[in-house]
Amino acid sequence: MNKIKVGLASCGIAAGAKQIQEYIQNEIKDKKLSIALEETGCIGMCYNEPLVEVFSDSGQWLYGNVTEEKAEKIIEHHAQNDKPIKEWLVKAENIQTDDDSYFAKQLKIASRNCGIIDPTKIDDYISTGGYESLKKALKTPPQDIIKEIITSGIRGRGGGGFPTGVKWESAVIAAKKKGEKPIIVCNADEGDPGAFMDRNLMESDPHTVLEGLIIGAYAIGAEEGYIYIRREYPLALKRIESAVKQAQEKGFLGQNILGSDFKLEIKIHRGAGAFVCGESTALMASMMGKAGEPRAKYIHNVESGFKNKPTVLNNVETFANIPVILEKGAKWFAEIGSGDVTDNPWGGSSGTKVFSLVGNLERTGLIEVPMGITLREIVYDIGGGIPKGRKFKAIQTGGPSGGCLPESHLDLEVDFDSLTKAGSMMGSGGMIVMDDKTCMVDVAKYFITFLKGESCGKCTPCREGLIALDEILTRITKGKGKEGDIELMDNICETMKIASLCELGKSAPNPVLSTIKYFRDEYEAHIKDKKCPAGVCKELIKYKVNDNCTGCTICAKNCPVDAISGKPKEMHFIDQEKCIKCNVCYEVCNFDAITVK
Amino acid sequence: MIDIIIDGKKISVKEETTILDAVKELNIEIPSLCHRPTVEAYGACRLCVVDVNDGRKTRMVTSCNYPIRKSIEINTQSERVRKTRGMLLEMMLSRWPNVDMIKQLAKEYGVTKPRFIHPLVDYSSNACILCGLCVNACSEIMWEDIIGFAGRGESRRVAMPFEKHYDACVGCSTCANICPTGAIKMIDDPNHPVDPKRIMKYGSKIADEMALMDEEQCDMRGVGTAHLAQIMNDYDLLPTCNYKFGSHKDAGGLHSDVFKHKYITQGLPDGCWLGCSMSCAKAVEGYELKTGPYKGDKVLIDGPEYETVAGCGANMGIFNPEFVLEANFYCDTYGIDTISFGTGMAFAMECYENGILNKERTGGMEFNFGNEEIGLEALHQMGRGEGFGIIVGQGIRRMKRIFAEKYDLSEEQIQFMQDIGMEAKGLEYSEYVTKESLAMQGGYGLALKGAQHDEAWLIFMDMVNNQIPTFEDKAEALHYFPMFRTWFGLMGLCKLPWNDVEPADNAETDEPAKVPGHVEGYVNFFSAMTGKEIDKHELILQSERVYNFQRVFNYRLGFGTRKHDLIPYRSAGPVTIEEYESRAERYDKQLVEKWSYDIKGKTSREKRDYLRKMRETDYQKLCDAVYKRRGWNENGIPTIQKMKELKMDLPEVVTVLEKNN
Repeated sequence: MNKIKVGLASCGIAAGAKQIQEYIQNEIKDKKLSIALEETGCIGMCYNEPLVEVFSDSGQWLYGNVTEEKAEKIIEHHAQNDKPIKEWLVKAENIQTDDDSYFAKQLKIASRNCGIIDPTKIDDYISTGGYESLKKALKTPPQDIIKEIITSGIRGRGGGGFPTGVKWESAVIAAKKKGEKPIIVCNADEGDPGAFMDRNLMESDPHTVLEGLIIGAYAIGAEEGYIYIRREYPLALKRIESAVKQAQEKGFLGQNILGSDFKLEIKIHRGAGAFVCGESTALMASMMGKAGEPRAKYIHNVESGFKNKPTVLNNVETFANIPVILEKGAKWFAEIGSGDVTDNPWGGSSGTKVFSLVGNLERTGLIEVPMGITLREIVYDIGGGIPKGRKFKAIQTGGPSGGCLPESHLDLEVDFDSLTKAGSMMGSGGMIVMDDKTCMVDVAKYFITFLKGESCGKCTPCREGLIALDEILTRITKGKGKEGDIELMDNICETMKIASLCELGKSAPNPVLSTIKYFRDEYEAHIKDKKCPAGVCKELIKYKVNDNCTGCTICAKNCPVDAISGKPKEMHFIDQEKCIKCNVCYEVCNFDAITVK
Repeated sequence: MIDIIIDGKKISVKEETTILDAVKELNIEIPSLCHRPTVEAYGACRLCVVDVNDGRKTRMVTSCNYPIRKSIEINTQSERVRKTRGMLLEMMLSRWPNVDMIKQLAKEYGVTKPRFIHPLVDYSSNACILCGLCVNACSEIMWEDIIGFAGRGESRRVAMPFEKHYDACVGCSTCANICPTGAIKMIDDPNHPVDPKRIMKYGSKIADEMALMDEEQCDMRGVGTAHLAQIMNDYDLLPTCNYKFGSHKDAGGLHSDVFKHKYITQGLPDGCWLGCSMSCAKAVEGYELKTGPYKGDKVLIDGPEYETVAGCGANMGIFNPEFVLEANFYCDTYGIDTISFGTGMAFAMECYENGILNKERTGGMEFNFGNEEIGLEALHQMGRGEGFGIIVGQGIRRMKRIFAEKYDLSEEQIQFMQDIGMEAKGLEYSEYVTKESLAMQGGYGLALKGAQHDEAWLIFMDMVNNQIPTFEDKAEALHYFPMFRTWFGLMGLCKLPWNDVEPADNAETDEPAKVPGHVEGYVNFFSAMTGKEIDKHELILQSERVYNFQRVFNYRLGFGTRKHDLIPYRSAGPVTIEEYESRAERYDKQLVEKWSYDIKGKTSREKRDYLRKMRETDYQKLCDAVYKRRGWNENGIPTIQKMKELKMDLPEVVTVLEKNN
């Protein structure tokens, strides 16, 4: 055994990887082992965190769900006879594991180094061929790089889906017209609940983001670059800061980069964490020290953005793809994905997309898949399907302002245009899977409440529309919905969609519109029958004990308001007056003896 | 121009015109709550949405900020547009059911009762509707950011920082004035005006003019009075080398663009007092000094103003903006006036170049025009109270006496010093070349305090626009303007907002030079403040009382007569042959046309001498006319009768005047 690596991205740390690392360190020290202990980022198997990888003469062995006890045994095992403990393995070179199917349909481009290299060391990145693309770029005329990026067909990974190369080209034209140097900005203000694609890229492989940004700056002729990153991402911030410093020391940033005439200075701007600041004009307002409010984009950022100069804003993941496109060629990239981008970058969705796959799934985590993969493949082949034998109900893509798609759409190909057509969107890559115990009206209300809190409040339709939708959804979930509420919400949503100032407002009604479209019967059940079919909306449901009850008393013991009574080994009873519908009895019952109706 | 179609009608508009501006021509009404011409389109209320078809697709845009860039078809009343506006109004009505303008608009769009109950419903008829006008007006009209939006989404509200009273708010009332619902009220004005609303009305008029027109007119907010340098140079009025010339090939070095883009660092309001919408004071931050006791320090320089640019630049034959800045800083630091310094130095430099001074007399300094090093060294000497600097620092009147007494000068040299020493009543001239404007010569010479232009600035009226051709016309101007401008001093008001921004229709008024729209404003300020109704004649009378009293005061102290109103000839015409020849064509023409002088075969010297005789005579005739208009006797002393008319026949005044009569 030569080396042990512990996955120390935020997800790993949250699962206890820091303690495991310390434990292993002490083990090494106590037992005087000559093993190098290193850290890496996240390979994407969040459901298996903490992850520990052993590098020994017999091979590379990745263990999941590692506890201190397991760690002790793993070290002992490898130290004694260098044999893996098969049942704890999640990934290995020559041994099949249950988790292999998690990776089978994935294709890693942007996240290729995540969970493999040490993100704190630039040399680790360089050893994988890092910064070679920059070297290559600096020997290529900038306009040829832009042409290459256009040919690759890559579209903005932040959710907009605007062809990156076209954006770069427009900025170059605008800058020439205005006689100003353009500015390049990396949007790292990821704010969707349940989405962590950008965070992981920055935590696990900051240099690939940086290299893409530097190449972009060279291509458009920028000498000033910014990374806008939220303070809620302390580790990502730290990694990016140290990456910038290291790149400067190596001469990849600063004056005369790699001996050329090209110079670039990168500044990091810390955002205060407003969802709306992910919107380009709000982000730039925030960077200028103003409140994060969007402005009308009739004049584009590529003409007049940050400090009124031509500005290119690209997402973290977009930049992470750039070095690979230059390394392997635009044609190689364009062939991955769906549609045909040969002559028209709008013709399809090339390359891959990173998604954070969460919700009611067997396996959750960060995945990177080729565009065009179906939702079914993601949910079942990668995600391993729905746990507890429950049924799939909906998948929400595109973050809080994305739409919820039903089972009939599982064979939809995942790309920019198909998702939009189906009433959802790609967004930045959040993906939430919901099972049949989910009330879609409640889901819509959850997202509308979130958006209501995050709307900047500048324009009437977004501010007032969300308040109105929240109000109407609340009354529906309380059994006070009125005839015509669905139509009224439709009207409000339509106004928000066409009259809001920014994309946040325009897309905010998506959760309502898509749930009305695909789950209208649930709305009607709430409004007409005053029932919540999924058994979620508290005011519309009752908890009852059924014949399965064995009188085990566990429900009565756990009820926080003492609403359950009954003698041991006799059927129990719930006092409806006292019941607060907290669902605890349902969750603790081992005999399916609680009915929710 | 771009051809567009609006509601089926074809019109042509300039590129970048907004739809809201374009429809004005067609008398089409588009509702809008958050837009005013004085602030940048904000696009928040969204009521002004219209459908735009660019040939490919139809999309909804806000007409207040959508710039027309190509041929498009606009539909301001499509069913979709009306439905959208109706829904927006339903949302607003649910929150602010008693705000008149919302109620009225909602009715027009068929909305009377909203279909949902707003959790934040506000029944006030003066509710804040979050249109942002006050916030944007504070920022864009006043260049302040005293109020802003706090909170987001449903908790969005207008507030001062940390929701506490913010002392920087001086109560300029711009926000209250622009608020469409009356949500902002002035509850206390520390000045306790009799009629605050009337003050608000006329005050915001000037604030609006600043917001709308300053950038195109004088750019006072952008660069301050320094914008004048290039204009003066273009009109041959920029004092160059002690007023010898009025322009210079290198004057571009002092162009306001140089200061604006290279040096002035504050894109912030920098008014003399908080709440000034003109905010023309400017500053250069982080300037590294090259000389003097603070050499190497990075300092903040307050300025430069036009007078400093011209006086500490062109008039000394220097066109380096950094010299101007360095001189500006040290004048301020030593407590030296930049005009007196610049004009005084220019005089000393011309004396040096004409042999009145030499290296021995200056303590070894080569006092040539354009010598930047010496310019600053002399300034530092003044500051330290050393060497030749002590002499220059005493001003031109003393310098003339000292040079005459100390050095063995010829009669001719002494007369030359009189001619080129640009002072009147002991005060150095400020920085305008007056040679071709008789009225302006009077503006300087007849000013009570000495050669300062703040009583009357008549060059454009007189020389450029020829609006006051006769002696009587000029005398009228030299009566009205000094009186009018004295009024600013009486009231403690700044003169700049009177005519450094002008109403859009000023040129069409009877007397554009007086800026009648603003005179009306000042009359109203006075009446609203004091409760005493006055008119524009009474305003002049107020000044006249003081002005005449001051003249009598001067007289009592041995000044204030015709001989004290004399001016150096440099300000009336060419002193030297070089000067004459630099504008020979103009002078020759005037000799022939105005005085029927036969110039054939005449030398420049002969022509110069004849011109001088004529111009000096004219100046005396001007004095005659002005004294008459002002009600003074031929020696320039106010008559007892005049003082009686003004009700200023105080016993002491009468005693002083009786001595004369």
